[in-house]
Amino acid sequence: MQVNSESILSVKDLTKSVQVEDKTLVLLQALNLNVAAGESIAIVGSSGSGKTTLLSILAGLDLPSTGQVYLKNQPLHQFNEEQRSQVRAQHVGFIFQQFLLINSLTALENVMLPAELANMPDAQVRGEALLAQVGLADRLDHYPSQLSGGEQQRVAIARAFIAQPDILFADEPTGNLDSKTGQHITDLIFDLNAKEGTTLVLVTHDAKLAARCQRQVEMDSGILTEPSALVATDDLGKDQINSKNINQSESETQTPVSQEG
Amino acid sequence: MSSVKPTASTKWLSQSLRLLHHELRRGELTIIFLAIVLAVATVFSLTGFSGQIKHAIVSNSTNTIGADRVLRMSSEVDSAILEKSQSLAIKSARKIETESMAFAGDNMLLSELDAVSDTYPLRGELRVKTSLTQAESTVVNAPSPGSVWVEPSVLSRLNVEIGDIIEIGVAPLTIAGVVTDIPDRSYRAFIAGPTVILNIADMPKTELIQPGSRITYKYLFAGETDAIETFETWIKPQINETQRWYDAKAAQNRLSRILDTAEKFLSLASMLGIVLAAVAVAVASRRYGQRHQSTVSIFKALGASISHVRKLYCLHWTLLSCLSIATGLLLGYGLMLLGVNAIASYLSLADAPVTFKPFVTAIFTGLLCAIAFAIHPIMSLVKSSPLNVIRGFNQEQVARFGWHQLPPLLALFLLLFIFSQDIVMSAALLLGGVVVSFILLLFGRGLMSAGRSVGTKAGKSWHLALANLKRRASENSVQLVSFTIAIKLLLLITVMKSSILSEWEQQFPEDTPNHYLINITQNQIDPLKAFVEENNIANQGFYHVYRGRLSAINGIKTVDEDKEETPVTSGENAATDKKPKAKKAEQQESRQGMGRELGLTWRDEIPEENEIISGQWWQVDDEKPQVSVESNIAERLAIKLGDELTFTIGSDVFTVPVTSIREVNWQSRQLNFIMVFNQSVLDKFPTTSISAWSIMDKDRDLVYRFLANFPTITVMDFAAIMAQLNSIIEQVTVAIQLILILVVLAGSLVLVAQVQASMEERERELAILRTLGAKGSLLRNSVLFEFVALGAIAGLMASIGMEIAVYILQSQVFNMPGSFHFQYWLVGIGAGALFVGSIGMLSCWRLLKLSSVTLIRRTM
Repeated sequence: MQVNSESILSVKDLTKSVQVEDKTLVLLQALNLNVAAGESIAIVGSSGSGKTTLLSILAGLDLPSTGQVYLKNQPLHQFNEEQRSQVRAQHVGFIFQQFLLINSLTALENVMLPAELANMPDAQVRGEALLAQVGLADRLDHYPSQLSGGEQQRVAIARAFIAQPDILFADEPTGNLDSKTGQHITDLIFDLNAKEGTTLVLVTHDAKLAARCQRQVEMDSGILTEPSALVATDDLGKDQINSKNINQSESETQTPVSQEG
Repeated sequence: MSSVKPTASTKWLSQSLRLLHHELRRGELTIIFLAIVLAVATVFSLTGFSGQIKHAIVSNSTNTIGADRVLRMSSEVDSAILEKSQSLAIKSARKIETESMAFAGDNMLLSELDAVSDTYPLRGELRVKTSLTQAESTVVNAPSPGSVWVEPSVLSRLNVEIGDIIEIGVAPLTIAGVVTDIPDRSYRAFIAGPTVILNIADMPKTELIQPGSRITYKYLFAGETDAIETFETWIKPQINETQRWYDAKAAQNRLSRILDTAEKFLSLASMLGIVLAAVAVAVASRRYGQRHQSTVSIFKALGASISHVRKLYCLHWTLLSCLSIATGLLLGYGLMLLGVNAIASYLSLADAPVTFKPFVTAIFTGLLCAIAFAIHPIMSLVKSSPLNVIRGFNQEQVARFGWHQLPPLLALFLLLFIFSQDIVMSAALLLGGVVVSFILLLFGRGLMSAGRSVGTKAGKSWHLALANLKRRASENSVQLVSFTIAIKLLLLITVMKSSILSEWEQQFPEDTPNHYLINITQNQIDPLKAFVEENNIANQGFYHVYRGRLSAINGIKTVDEDKEETPVTSGENAATDKKPKAKKAEQQESRQGMGRELGLTWRDEIPEENEIISGQWWQVDDEKPQVSVESNIAERLAIKLGDELTFTIGSDVFTVPVTSIREVNWQSRQLNFIMVFNQSVLDKFPTTSISAWSIMDKDRDLVYRFLANFPTITVMDFAAIMAQLNSIIEQVTVAIQLILILVVLAGSLVLVAQVQASMEERERELAILRTLGAKGSLLRNSVLFEFVALGAIAGLMASIGMEIAVYILQSQVFNMPGSFHFQYWLVGIGAGALFVGSIGMLSCWRLLKLSSVTLIRRTM
């Protein structure tokens, strides 16, 4: 896999805390992370470790309490809701554990939605093509309730790719599926990702799924670590990636290599 | 809920209570609670309020006959009748009416004499001032023996004061006060002069009752509705043709028509309130079923039996219903009091009792709504598969028509019937509603699809809005039908209200004559003409009147059926009694009218408000004898053009051919005549004239004083009856407006319930769209445009529906001419867009303000 060394996503000293009554609950602690364009990275960790919170901030759905987040060189941490929406519409694709399809829309209409939002002229043609690619060419007019879980997730995958995002965030994409279907979905995501050259940020607690990413980082109680043992050795560009990376908030000595914006 | 144990068969009770408690606290039941509260409160306030208004209107109108029922006859009543009324605890009063001269020194005045018993009046108020300086009149019954109460004009015309003595017949009686209100005065059309009221005990002293004198005996009855009805059933078969038994409605055609229309309108408005409330309950319970699916599935997955779940939800639902009904009753009672207070100054409701009817109807409505409109959602809820736990709970149930719609439809019919007591009206409303809903469903989908194609070329927000509309066509068309029905009902009420009111107003245009002068001799015409001109009194000119009979048609003698002589047979008599559409009255009239004396006249020109429907009006100089016949009489007596009619005037008999048939607008209070001749026919007969004047209150004394110079002229005063009709019309108008406000309120709440019902789906959609990067303005606009488009489509369909419904109602129910109201189409569309748009926006505002991360967390 060709990895563009240019960083597409960069996080510096990110923390996230919430006020619960009179206590401050720290969800994320001084995180640093760089993701190169075209790279696939898995964020693993147990439930409640802060994976999804991190994903929300990385994707511009939420704001950090402190720290900086750059996506495609755009300072998400300085952006308001509207500006972040625009960034998402232009650069980001999503796949969720709950599929999050709109029930009243057909499969095709669900897929077309991001393209319509991005004003793409050939939304329908592209939608049909993508649904064909995920093997649902004969299910275009089916509603989510008429589809199985695996089929719904395939629609969600097609939807994620239709607007040709630069970066794709997937939150436990196989979490609601059986292992066989999950395997199939995983294949689809990675195949399409390779074909479209999209950067992939995957949140999962499934070690097998995580292993298919070029790089893995681990969340534990709001702290991000990068166990080097988990890094695949034969991946092209792994050294670059490793050298760039990141983290260890505990380690005072390491600083992020790449600072952009 | 996690403590559910499959074996704990009695646990359902505590679980049910806990469920209710938790859900009420968390606001999960707010919508269904409010829907039932709304249904009950609407029905209670509408029934209670319109009941009170109806009662007030009816009791105000019984004032016009001074009783609940009146028996009028030309001789004294059989004592058995009075005994029967006493045995039923019905109050009675006696009244003798006649005309007589009142004398004071050299002055004399033809007056209307009312001799009344001590209990008179039984309904309404007889009000008297015992001195002219007294500000407020006092409510009284009969004057004490030896004294009289007189109308103010008696004082001026006889040049007497309170305390003076006047002679009635041969009895000297003291004027004890001036009467300001006579409750049954308005019914009496033919008033010889101002009224003098004396005690019935003084009547023998006057020696006015002689063989052959024209005396009317009236027996007034009032009591509990049941007793009166029993009495009526008993007495009716005994009424012979010289007697009349009547109530307020029968007493006055015009008044009864207004009351009738008002009653129909109020019950129509109340029924619409029920339909709206039922829609709210249906919408809310469907949402309830969907929301609870997951709970039931989890219960079942944990091993709860169907009967456990059923018991749990039955109790839960029963408790919720009871709570909602109780709250609804309280709220409805409050609303009713508010309404009653608001109109207290217009309508005296003081004696209107709060009956059980609104309580019973409202509780029954609440129960019926809670059961019939919720049975399907609750049954499907109980049937929820535990499999849902695995397959997910977000499967939208799209409304489909099937057998499960039957209970709500039956319930609706039952409610409408209980409410209206009119099986035809209920069935028509229901069947019409079902058919219309189907048409709307299809039509609405068509419009939404069309909108989608248009939207593709419009801006992005419109695109998304119309795409959303079309994509959610199933859900939307259900919403659309309710929006449409709500808007249609509101439009319908508005249009019907204004057309009813304008029809009523047209009955009394300005300058409507309120006094009729008859027996004007030829030498009196000139001074009268000079007087009206000088004092600027609106009048309809002077008509020659000849008293004559139609004695034969084409040589065949007409049968003289009527024994009771009618004092005046002017056009006004016909105008008051004759209603082309009142078939029953017409038949009675036809029997009476055949042989009675008619007021005949001649005209050179065709009278105003008359239209020739066959034949031709004569030339002014045409000497050939001719007659023009009023169309209804012509039809009834089978008179055709060319028929030879024989008339008798005094001892003269003459025959004329019919050369035209006229349609006469009896609604106008013009002087109208059944038989109009050309001048040459009647010229040779002696004649008096008739005129109709519109006398303002301020001119009244002046006019009466002037007319006192012409003692032979009889004045018929209609001012009082018209004033009373006008005040009743005003009261009815207020009632209609208040009920309209309540219906608008019910309609708005239904719309809110509708939007609320789609809220979860909208929230989820917004979350997804937000995540996918849709801008806030885009989301706001798309939500706004979606509701605006929905409202506009609903408004358009509502306008079409309203037009059809108004036409049917006008022609079938209210007996009015049909009319079209295109100006309301724009109002319908605009108001629909604005109304649904703003309510939709307001309801979704909270959602639109949520950040994307909050939205997405709530959704997941």
